[in-house]
Amino acid sequence: MALSFRSVSRKIWLTLSSIKTGVILIILVVIFSVAGTVILQRPITDADDMQRAYSPTMLRFLDATGLTDVFHAYWFLALVVLVSCSIIAASVERFPNAWRFFARPYKSPDEHFRRALPTQAQIPITDEERGLNAAERALRQLRFGSERIVHTNNFSLFSERHRISELAVYMVHASLLLILLGYFIVDARYGWKGFLTLIPGSQSNQVELTKGVTRTLPFSIRCDGTGEETYTDGTPKRWWSKLAVIDNGREVQRKEIVVNDPLVYEGVRFYQASWGQTGKLDQLILSATPAQGAIGAPKEISLTPNQTVALDADTSVQVAEFIPDYVVQDGQVYARSNDVLNPAVHLIVTAKKDKRSVNVWLPEIPGVGENASSPYIFQPKDLTPEVFTGLQVSHEPGQWSVWGGVILMAIGLTFVFYVSHVRFWVVPVRNGNGQLALWVGGTANRNRDAFEQKFKQLVEQIQKELKPKDVASAPAQATTTAGR
Amino acid sequence: MAQARAEQQPATGTTLIVLVGLSIAFLLFMAFLNVVKSGNILNESNMLYAALIFYAGAGALYLGFGVTGTDSYIKFASLATWAGLVANTLAVAHRWYEAGHPPFASIYEMLLSFVWTLAALTLIAEKRYGVKVIGTVTMPVAIVGVVLMQLLRTEVHPLVPALQSTWLHVHVTLAMLAYAACALSFALAMMFLIQDKMKTESFLAATSMFTVGIYAAVLSRFERWGGLNVVAWDAQNKSEVFISRGVRLFVTIPDLGWMMLLVFAAVAAPLVLYVLFRLKKNDGFLAIANRAVFISILLQILALVFFLLRARDGQYPSLDAEGLYQTSLAASPFILSALVGGIFANLLYLLLLWRRPDLERHLPDADALDRITYKTICIAFPLLTLMIAAGAYWANRAWGSYWNWDPKETWAAITWLVYAGYLHMRITRGWRGRRAAYFAILGFAVVMFTFFGVTYLLPGLHAYA
Repeated sequence: MALSFRSVSRKIWLTLSSIKTGVILIILVVIFSVAGTVILQRPITDADDMQRAYSPTMLRFLDATGLTDVFHAYWFLALVVLVSCSIIAASVERFPNAWRFFARPYKSPDEHFRRALPTQAQIPITDEERGLNAAERALRQLRFGSERIVHTNNFSLFSERHRISELAVYMVHASLLLILLGYFIVDARYGWKGFLTLIPGSQSNQVELTKGVTRTLPFSIRCDGTGEETYTDGTPKRWWSKLAVIDNGREVQRKEIVVNDPLVYEGVRFYQASWGQTGKLDQLILSATPAQGAIGAPKEISLTPNQTVALDADTSVQVAEFIPDYVVQDGQVYARSNDVLNPAVHLIVTAKKDKRSVNVWLPEIPGVGENASSPYIFQPKDLTPEVFTGLQVSHEPGQWSVWGGVILMAIGLTFVFYVSHVRFWVVPVRNGNGQLALWVGGTANRNRDAFEQKFKQLVEQIQKELKPKDVASAPAQATTTAGR
Repeated sequence: MAQARAEQQPATGTTLIVLVGLSIAFLLFMAFLNVVKSGNILNESNMLYAALIFYAGAGALYLGFGVTGTDSYIKFASLATWAGLVANTLAVAHRWYEAGHPPFASIYEMLLSFVWTLAALTLIAEKRYGVKVIGTVTMPVAIVGVVLMQLLRTEVHPLVPALQSTWLHVHVTLAMLAYAACALSFALAMMFLIQDKMKTESFLAATSMFTVGIYAAVLSRFERWGGLNVVAWDAQNKSEVFISRGVRLFVTIPDLGWMMLLVFAAVAAPLVLYVLFRLKKNDGFLAIANRAVFISILLQILALVFFLLRARDGQYPSLDAEGLYQTSLAASPFILSALVGGIFANLLYLLLLWRRPDLERHLPDADALDRITYKTICIAFPLLTLMIAAGAYWANRAWGSYWNWDPKETWAAITWLVYAGYLHMRITRGWRGRRAAYFAILGFAVVMFTFFGVTYLLPGLHAYA
C-alpha cells in the first residue's frame, strides 16, 4: 500500500514537473484570460448592462461557473496555484543538476570528454610550460581569468566566465513565484481597496470597500483643500488635494497629493482618483442695496450655509436652500441634477423688529419668491460651489513581493538571454605522432555563434603568443592579423 | 563589378513597372485624401507625407528586388528607407515640440513611434544581419501605419491627469520597442518558411484564409438590402457619434455590402480550389486557384476604391436614428487597413509564386533565419516583461492598484505567456524550424490584437490608447 502510494505520488510529481504539463497549464490560463476579457465582468459592468447583454439562462450559467468574474473565481486561483506547483516541481526536478554544474565546475577534462567536445583545436608546441604561459597570456588578452589545475605530473588550464548564468532560469522561475505570491495570496487575503470622499475641512476614517461595506481605519484623514486646474479647452489638467493624517488626535503627516503622487501612511495609500462638485454651496457673495430710503453704496456680503449675516441693526439674511440645477413646476422649485448648471438660491431676510421673514429667490422666480417685499435688493456677485475630492484608498502589502519579483526577473532574464557561461580548457597533450601540442577546447551554454568567434580568436591569439618575440617584424605582423 | 551589375537591365522590368505604377497611383490618391496642408513646409503632416512616399518607394523597390533580383534596387531601397526614417524623425520631433511631451499619448502618436521603430529595425536587420528583403514585409506594415495615421485624429491633446507621468514614457517606449521586435520576428519567421521549402500552395492556403477572414470580418457589418454599416462621424468634433456611452451610431452605405460579398466570393474561390486540389490531388485546380488570386486582387483593389469613394464623406441613413448622418474614412480606419492589408498579403503571395527561386537566393539560409528569429524574440521578451512591469508600476501610482485585469493588461499578459511558451518549447523541447516559426507568427497575431483589437473591441481603462 505504502509502495503504491509512493509510486502514485511519484507519478503525480513527474507529471507536474514535465514541460508538457507546464505548457498545457499556460494554454489553460490563456484561454480563461481571453474569456475574462470577452465576457462582461461583474464588478466593472453594472447589473443592468449584464442583463441587457445576456439572456437570463445564459447569465445564470455564467454566474454559476464564475465566468462573469473570471479573475477572482476560485478555479482561476486554483489554476494559478497549479501553475505555481508546476513551476516549483519543474525547478526542483532540474535544479540539483544545474546546482552540481554550478557548485562543482568541471575543471580537468578527461580524454573521453576531450574527444567528444565539438569545439576544439590543437596547437603544436615545443615546450609545455611555454605553451601554457602563452595560453594564459592569450586568455588574459580576451579578458578571461585562468586557473592552473595541478595534475600528478603536469598542469592544465581552466578558464570560465558567467557561471551564474547556469542558474538564471531558476531566478526567473523564483521571480514569477514571488509575483504570483504577492498578488494572488498576500494581496488577495490581506489587501483591500476602497473609496473615500472628503469635502474641504472634513475628516473621516471610514473607507467604503464596496456598496454598503466600510472599513474603519485606525487613523483619520483630513482634507484641508482641494482643487482642479483645467486646460483652456476645459479638460482637466490637474487635480490636487491637501491631506493631513490624524493619528491619536495628533496631526502626524501632511501632503498635497495629485494624480500619480499618492500619500502613504502605515502601508495605506491615498490616491487622487476623482474630483467634483457636491451640488451644495460653499460660499455666496452678494451685493445688497436697501430697497427704500437713501440709496447708499451697495454692501458686499459673503454667505455660507447655516450662517446669518446682519445687513443692518435690524435686518439679517441667511441661506435657506441652494438648488444647483433648478427647474420650476407647478409653483415648486425642484433640483434636476447635482451639477451646478442653473443654480438658484433661497434667502430668508429677517427683520427683528416686526418679526417678519421674507423669502427671496435669486434669480427671481415668479410666483415662488417674495422678492418685491424684501427690504434689500440682492445682486449675486460670485458663487463658490462646494467641492469634494474622491480618494482611492488601498492597502497592498503584497506589492513588495511583486516589485521584488519584477527586479529579480529583470536580472534573471538578462542572464538567461544575454549572458552565457563560457568555458575554456587548455591541456598539453601528445598527439598521434607523439608530438607535443596544446589541446584547446571550449563550450558555451548559449549564443553559440558569438562563442565560436571567441574560440577562433583565442586560438589565433595563442598562436601569436607562441611566436618568438625576437623577430623584428613581429609587431607589424600582429597588427595585420588583428586587423583582418 | 558592382557598377556593372547596377547598369544591367532588370530581368522582368514590366512587373516592376506595374508595381511601381500601382504604388504611385495609390500615393496620388492618398494625396487627394490628405490635401497636403499649406503653411510651414517642415510641419508634421508634410513630413509624414514625405515619409509615406519614401516608405512606399522603398516598399516598391524591395518588392522589385524580390521580383528581379537586381542588386542595385536594394541600395536604393535602403536609401529610400533612410530618407523615410529621416522624415519620420522630423515628424516625431515636430510632434514632440508641439505637444510638449513625447509622442506616446494617443493611438495616433503611438503609431507614429511604432512606424519609426519598425523602419529603424528594418535597417538594422538589413545592415547587421544581412536579411535583405525584410523590407518587402515591414515596409507595407509601415505604409499601412502611416495611412492609418492620416485618418486618425491628429490634434495635439492635452494630457489628462493620469497620463502626466514619466512612467508613461517608459511604459510606451518599451511597448513600441517590444512590438516592433515582435513584428520583425514575424517577418523573419515568414522568410524562414519560404527558405524552409514550405510548399507555395501552403502559402496560398494561408493567404486565402487570412483574406477570407478579413472579408468575413468586414461582412459582419453587412446590412439588409446589401448595405454596409460604418460608424457615423461628427466632423465638427472630429469624433465618432455615440448614441449612449460606448454605443456607436452606425450609418448604412447602400450597395457597398453587395460589393464586399462579391469580393468575399472572389477571395474564397482560391481557398475552395485549394481544398479541391487537396481532395482530388489534381494540379489543375492549383493553376486555376493562382489565376483566381490574381482576379481577386483586382476585385479587392476595386472594392478598396469603392470603399474610399463612398465612405470618404457623404450623408447616409441610419437604422438607429432618423435622418441622414455624415461619415468619413476616419470613422472606419480598421476596415480600411484590413482592405489594404488584404491586398498586400495577396501581392506578397504573387511575388512568391512568380519569383520564388530568386527570393530564396537572396535570403540568408534557413538555419540563419531560424536563429535570427529566435534572437529577435530574445530581445522582444525581456522588453515585453519590462513594459508590463513599468505599466504596473505606473498603474500603482495612478489608479491605486498595480493590476486591475483591464482587458489591455490581460492581453499583454497573454502575449507574454505565448512568448514564454515559445521560449520553453524552444529551449527545453528543442523546437526549431517550422513549429517555432508558426509560434512566432501566432505571437505576432496576439500582439496585433493587443495593440489594435483590444483598443477598439474591448472596453477598459486604456481608453486613450
